[in-house]
Amino acid sequence: MTAYDPCAHCEEVMQPFMDRVLTDAERAQAEAHLDECTYCRKRYRFEENLRVFVRQAVTAEPMPVELKQKLAALRTPLQ
Amino acid sequence: MGKTTREPDARQIATEARDRVRFEEEALALSDQVYRVARHLVGSREEAEDLMQETYARAFRSWRSFQPGTNLRAWLLRILTNLNIDRGRRQQRSPDMQPLEEGDYFLYNKLEAAGDGDTDEERVVERLSQNDVVSALSDVPHDFRDVVVLVDIGDFTYADAAQILDIPIGTVMSRLHRGRRILKKSMADQAVGGELA
Repeated sequence: MTAYDPCAHCEEVMQPFMDRVLTDAERAQAEAHLDECTYCRKRYRFEENLRVFVRQAVTAEPMPVELKQKLAALRTPLQ
Repeated sequence: MGKTTREPDARQIATEARDRVRFEEEALALSDQVYRVARHLVGSREEAEDLMQETYARAFRSWRSFQPGTNLRAWLLRILTNLNIDRGRRQQRSPDMQPLEEGDYFLYNKLEAAGDGDTDEERVVERLSQNDVVSALSDVPHDFRDVVVLVDIGDFTYADAAQILDIPIGTVMSRLHRGRRILKKSMADQAVGGELA
């Protein structure tokens, strides 16, 4: 039998925890572990920063102005 | 009594024209947000631009099938992903291919090990560049990337993503779970390469 490893469990539920889809009991268990475990808490904070960083990195490129104009030109002409 | 309404009268025509113009304006106002998602669902900027034009042309033609009060952004992306599939822009799925993935802590552990003992979470993430992220995302296989892009970049709920991609919500969750891990493995490879392998 494999011994229960709270850090491995925390790693497993980290993403659902951040997505807020855990049950109240699961969430409370994860929060209790994060309160007492520096190793997992560091990684949790990193994951939070990472999500913001990824979103900013991939949305930095704006839609080309010409494309916006082309889309507007597709509208049905007013009669 | 006696007056029939077989022919649409001027008022009906005017109401319809007003509804259509409102729909078109609302759809255009969302185009930046739709583009941000589209840009990462396909391989290149050119493809994304073509797909956006096809999507808006179709949306403007079939505006009557949109139910007011529902999520217009999700409706537009549903059209976009269907067009993308119809045009065979997606690579063929290869069921035997198992993308490499690691645990959720893999990226942090790699970046931390690559630093000079600095384990501040804020600084660790700064070891990634914007290019690392964009390039890593484009390496994630389509099925996984679609879900990651819709949920993590497009801010869609699991339910919206399921509807847009026409897959069960359980599949959205499992692909998201694996897709994020594949992305992190890919970012780790981009950022620190094989130097610590």
